[in-house]
Amino acid sequence: MISRVADHCFWMGRYVERAENAARVLSATHGLALDGELPAHQCWLPVLIVAGEQPAFYERFGASAAGEEEVVQDYMSWDEKNLSSLLRSVGAARENARSIRDLLSIEVWEAVNETHLWLHGQDARNEYAENRFGFYGRLRWHTELVLGLARTTMLHDQALDFVGLGVLLERAGWTARVLDVHHHALLSEGLGDRAAETGLWLAILRACSGYEPFLRHGRGQISGLAVANFLLLEPKFPRSVRYCVQGAGERLSVIRPPQRDELPGGRSLKRLLNLDAWLRQLELPRTDQSALHQVLTQVVDETAAVCNVLGEELLGQPPAAAPTVAAERAG
Amino acid sequence: MSQIAFQSSAVEIAARSVRLFDGYPFLGDTYDELLAPDGAPRPAFHRAMEVLGRKSPDEVRRCQALVDRALLSRGVTFSVYSDSRGTEKIFPFDVLPRMVSAQDWRHIRTGLEQRVRALELFLADVYTSGRIFAENRIPAEVVLASRGYLAQVGGVRPWGGVRIHVAGIDLIRDSAGTWRVLEDNLRTPSGVSYVLENRVMAKRAFPAAFDRARVHPVEDYSARLGDALRSVSPETQAPNVVLLTPGPYNSAFFEHAFLARTMGIDLVQASDLFVDDDRVWLRTTRGPAPVHVIYRRIDDAFLDPEVFRPDSLLGVRGLFRAWQKGNVALANAPGNGIADDKAVYPYVPEMIRFYLSEEPILEQVPTFLCARDDDRAFVIDHLHELVVKAVDEAGGYGMLMGPDSTAEQRDEFRQRIRADPRRYIAQKRIELSSCPTWDGNRGCLVPRRVDLRPYVVSSRSGPWVLPGGLTRVALVEGSYVVNSSQGGGSKDTWVLKV
Repeated sequence: MISRVADHCFWMGRYVERAENAARVLSATHGLALDGELPAHQCWLPVLIVAGEQPAFYERFGASAAGEEEVVQDYMSWDEKNLSSLLRSVGAARENARSIRDLLSIEVWEAVNETHLWLHGQDARNEYAENRFGFYGRLRWHTELVLGLARTTMLHDQALDFVGLGVLLERAGWTARVLDVHHHALLSEGLGDRAAETGLWLAILRACSGYEPFLRHGRGQISGLAVANFLLLEPKFPRSVRYCVQGAGERLSVIRPPQRDELPGGRSLKRLLNLDAWLRQLELPRTDQSALHQVLTQVVDETAAVCNVLGEELLGQPPAAAPTVAAERAG
Repeated sequence: MSQIAFQSSAVEIAARSVRLFDGYPFLGDTYDELLAPDGAPRPAFHRAMEVLGRKSPDEVRRCQALVDRALLSRGVTFSVYSDSRGTEKIFPFDVLPRMVSAQDWRHIRTGLEQRVRALELFLADVYTSGRIFAENRIPAEVVLASRGYLAQVGGVRPWGGVRIHVAGIDLIRDSAGTWRVLEDNLRTPSGVSYVLENRVMAKRAFPAAFDRARVHPVEDYSARLGDALRSVSPETQAPNVVLLTPGPYNSAFFEHAFLARTMGIDLVQASDLFVDDDRVWLRTTRGPAPVHVIYRRIDDAFLDPEVFRPDSLLGVRGLFRAWQKGNVALANAPGNGIADDKAVYPYVPEMIRFYLSEEPILEQVPTFLCARDDDRAFVIDHLHELVVKAVDEAGGYGMLMGPDSTAEQRDEFRQRIRADPRRYIAQKRIELSSCPTWDGNRGCLVPRRVDLRPYVVSSRSGPWVLPGGLTRVALVEGSYVVNSSQGGGSKDTWVLKV
């Protein structure tokens, strides 16, 4: 497959997944904030940190604005200058999809295009104004449709493997960042009051679509450590870091089989498989917050490094004609 | 009475008593494609027109809205600005079809085959022996002064002897209903993807009328083009054919992706290709893969910076040499611009007589060459009744519509013609035929002017004409310019089997 095309597949997957994750975090945080147990700043600043947007946001709106929920939500949903906003992520997903229009099924292309058209139309603005949860839910419904249709209507060949690789690496990084931003709250005992603490843990689970799977898996026993363990290491939960890294390793092993040393991609594969092996034997310390933070930092850094090496080895040069994607990658 | 009417409410039946084509405001001195001057459908189209004529304006309005939404959703667009915001517009589609009778189509098809065969022979002759110049049938200076002339192409004999793999020949119809060739497009003619998409839309909008009409299908175009491209491959066992696009910001990117997808070939950009040892390779995730045929949708000038534009970042270094050596086929071949130059156009009938010993089947539009002294003098005195065109421009640009022009515009063109006569031709304005077209503001059908671009695909074994083509329509009242860049739209073209 053409390297440039592989690059578009990979980034289409990443942007679709990014939009979905942002919508999920925004929705969960909106719910958390409405409970009123935590100060607004403590609810909304983590959203900016997870998206990697804290510095840019502070510069434009000032630190205190991170406690204004409408400002943060507007910035994360509609801001044209914010590369992680829903508007920009969906736009970038569509740009990438358009460049590989010949590889996508008509169903996938229509789903991507419809997401873009909806988000740019008045319907989405009205829904945002009148029914915030409905708006975020609708966006997720769109992105999930894209990824579902990709599995059910496209050839299961390298193009889909690269889309999947992008999705899984994006998701692994995202889950790790959600956990990391809250690592204090997860491994502390008796610092806050019980209701606020539980509310936060559940919001973290919801931010990763892990609320019901967690309860089912842990039979209702809820603790910060259990939540951290579940989201980081649970092999059966499709948004856990371990699951995503293992899945990404499997995709890359199909794209570039481990024994085929004459093919490019060896360094990225080795690095990804090492991360996978490390996560498999990892056990979380019971109460050591800084150890959890170190583990999560390692995961975030390694997934980013794998993406960079992949870019060099398999995805060719960034397409010069697509400044949004190029700027994003540089940033 | 139709089943639909039977199920409708009394109110709707009353509304439908206004028949769709009643009160159609004919344009004076203009041939209408679907309706005879007495307001009755032309006999050849009776079957479909009977069904269409029973539609109410409200039904047509709903059909038009339905297809507009579907085109947007499917992303059938062209790019308007070359920026990263990706401003795109749907190519306006008018839901009312244009029809061509079986008898007219036989005339067009044989005429186009003849024309493309002669143009192929002309290109081969100019770039090898120059027989037509030696026998004084066409002045050599007219051809060699063309901007499309590429000296480097001299002596190259492309695979399968094909240079015009795809031709788009623009036809118009005058007030007497006579078909005339307006211009030839032999480099990278575009628009065929809209022909195929328009058909999908027309079938959704008017299934019953389409069924009654008995229309030639167009969907096999991509398969035919794929076969033609493989037929000229230097590698016959496993030919690797790719489509070369300038990228997603090109106005025709939708079409490039469409054709690659429907032919099942890779859509590549110049940066995906490289040349090593005069062979062309594709950069893939598993290392280089050989390329044998390139259906390129970029201009000659941007093919290969080594040959054409040393300053250009576009193109593939060494590609031209690989083609000269016969290691790769380029479709269409470089250098074809001499044959669709507007100053060469008046000589095409002479080419047909010279190479084929046949009389031309299709008429042309009488043309004045400003490079000729007599012609130029006439043109300069009669600008107010002529259409002046730059020989190397397209898309409705570089043009003077004499009858609609101001005195200043005519003065400007007079100066331009005197400064560079070779660059201009002039033609009498033809009253392009009209076709009933939906006007959403007025809620009725109005006559709008149309042309027709049929597509001719040539393989090793000769030309094939797609039974259909792109009917472009000037959506602006009174306009003669059908180009999409200037307020034009398109219609589905129904070529009838009987």
